[in-house]
Amino acid sequence: MSNAVKVEKLAKVFEFNKGRGFSKTRVETTAVDRISFEVPEGQSLAFIGPNGAGKSTTIKMLTGILRPTSGEAEVLSLVPWRQRNKLSRLIGAVFGQRSQLWYHLPPRDTFELLSRIYELDRSQYLRRSDMLIERFALASFLDTPVRKLSLGQRMRAEVAASLLHQPRIVFLDEPTIGLDVVARQELRDVIREWNREEGVTIFLTSHDAGDIESVSRRVIVINHGRIVLDDKISNMRRRYLSSKVLNIKFHDEHSEVAVNGVTVLKSTGYALKLEVDCQVVGMEEVLHHVVNAGSVADITIEDPPLEEVIAHIYGQAGSSEAAENVEVS
Amino acid sequence: MSSWQKYPWIALVAARSNLAYWGDVASRFIFLGVVLYIFLRLWQVTYAQMGAAELGGFTLAQMLWYLVITESITLSGPRVAQAVDEDVRTGVLSVQLVRPMSYPLFRLSTTMGERLVRFVMNLLVGSVVALVFVGPIKLEGAGCLIFLLSVPAAFILDFLTNFSIGLGAFWLEDTSGLLLIYSRLTMILGGMLLPLELFPDWLQPVLKALPFSSVIYGPAHLLVHPDWSAWADLAIRQLSFILVLSLFVAFLYRTALKRVFSNGG
Repeated sequence: MSNAVKVEKLAKVFEFNKGRGFSKTRVETTAVDRISFEVPEGQSLAFIGPNGAGKSTTIKMLTGILRPTSGEAEVLSLVPWRQRNKLSRLIGAVFGQRSQLWYHLPPRDTFELLSRIYELDRSQYLRRSDMLIERFALASFLDTPVRKLSLGQRMRAEVAASLLHQPRIVFLDEPTIGLDVVARQELRDVIREWNREEGVTIFLTSHDAGDIESVSRRVIVINHGRIVLDDKISNMRRRYLSSKVLNIKFHDEHSEVAVNGVTVLKSTGYALKLEVDCQVVGMEEVLHHVVNAGSVADITIEDPPLEEVIAHIYGQAGSSEAAENVEVS
Repeated sequence: MSSWQKYPWIALVAARSNLAYWGDVASRFIFLGVVLYIFLRLWQVTYAQMGAAELGGFTLAQMLWYLVITESITLSGPRVAQAVDEDVRTGVLSVQLVRPMSYPLFRLSTTMGERLVRFVMNLLVGSVVALVFVGPIKLEGAGCLIFLLSVPAAFILDFLTNFSIGLGAFWLEDTSGLLLIYSRLTMILGGMLLPLELFPDWLQPVLKALPFSSVIYGPAHLLVHPDWSAWADLAIRQLSFILVLSLFVAFLYRTALKRVFSNGG
C-alpha cells in the first residue's frame, strides 16, 4: 500500500525576540524536533500530545501552511509547502473550534459554495452531497440556519462539508470538543465508518481518549517536539498497562488485603476496589489473598481507562526531558 | 468551471447571509433614518440663517439627497478590517489557506456581496426619507448611470484600505486605532458630513486629490451634479488609487504570508 503521509526528520524552529530595547535577545524554540513517520493510505491515525507538544505545528507543515526549518515531508506524493494549492484539493480539514459553515445560512448553502470553491463537477457534487446527507443524517436540518443547530448537528455538518470534495486525507482537529456523550459517539461512529468504507486516511488530534480509541487504530504520541510513542492502540494499552483494577464484592464483611504492589482504592463493608501493579505482584497471588479475605460473590478485572495510560505517557516524557529554549543572543 | 467563477458565488452567499438577520438590518435602517432627519433639521436652520437658496451650489433638497448617498455609502461598509484582524489573530486565516482560493479575493467577494446589498437597501430607505421631507430632485438617466458606475470602484478602493489595516494585525498589537483614524478621515475629508465645496477654496483641490473623496464625495456629487467630465476625472482617480493600493496590498499580503509560513501566524 502506498503512503499517504511520509515524514522524514521534519523539524521546525521558531525564532522570536524576547525582552525589549538593549536586553532584547533572539530566542529559538524547537517546536518539532526531527520527527519521522509514515502513514499508509487508508489508515486512521491519532496524533496526540499535551498542549504545546508540536501537534498543530506538524499539521500546519503537512497542510502546507508552515514551512519547516529542515527535513522532508510528502503528503499524497506532494511537498505540502511547495504545492499547497494542488494539495488543497486532495485534503480536507475540520477544526473543532473554527467553523467553516456560514453562521446565518443553512448548511446547504455552505455545501453549494464549497462545491464552487473546489470547482466540483455538478452531477458528481450532487451525488456526493446526497450520499453525505444520508450517511451523516443531515436531511432534517439541512435547510435550517446554522445558528439554530445544536452543536452535535453542526459538527456532523462540518465533517460532511469537509468530505464534499472527496479528499483522500482528512485532518480532524478536536472534532468532538464540547459535544455531549451521545453526539460525540455518533460523530465518532460515522467517522470510523467513513474511514473503513471509503478508505480515506484520517489524521486525528484530540485530547479525548474516547475519540482516539473509537476512531483510530494507531497512535503517535508527540511531546516536546519528539515522537515518544508510535504504536497500535491495543499495544499501547498492553505496554503501558502494567496495572489492573479489581472490583470485588463479598457475601459478608471482609478482612483487609495487605500485599506489596496492591493499593486499596476503596474499601466498604461488602466491597473492595484494588489497583494491582502486575510488575510487583502476580495476579494469582493477589486473588489468593482476596479469596482468603472473605466469601467472594463477584470479581471484575479491568484495565485502567486509556486516559490514565495517556497521562502516564505524557508524564514519563515530561520528566525525562526539559523544555528546550536555546538563546542565541 | 473557471476558477474565477467561485468569487461571484462567494459574494452571493455573503449577500444572502447579510439578509438573513432582519434585526440587524432594521436597526441599521432606523439609525440611517434618524441621522438623515437630524441633518435635515441642521441644514434647514443653516439655510434659513444664511438666507441663501444655495450653499456651495447645493439647494436644500440637493444637500439632503447628497447626504442620503454619503450616508448610504458610509453605513454600508462591512467590518472588513476587524474581520481580517480577527482572522489573523485567531488563526482562521490558516484555515482559509487550506482551501483552493485566494484569501484577499475571498474577502473582496464577501465585502462586495455584503456591501452592495446594504447599499441598495440604505439607498431605498434614504430615498424615502428624502422624498418625504424635501421631495424629489431633478435626476438624469445619464447622471444615475455614471453615479452607479462610480460606486463599485469606490467600494473596492475602500476595501483595499480596510484590508491593509486588517493585515496590520501581523505587526501591531491593535489595529482599531488605525481604523478609527481612517474612518474619521473618510467621514470628514471624504465629504460625508459636508460637500467639499463648503471647505475653504485653497483646501478643496487637496481634498479632491486625496483618496477619501473618491470613496464618498465623488459618487455622491455625481448624482446631484451629473457631469461626464467630472465622472471621467473621478474614474481616473479611482482607478489609479485602486492600482496603487492593489500593489501595496499584494506586497503587504506576501510579506504577511511569509510570516505565516515561517512563524505560523
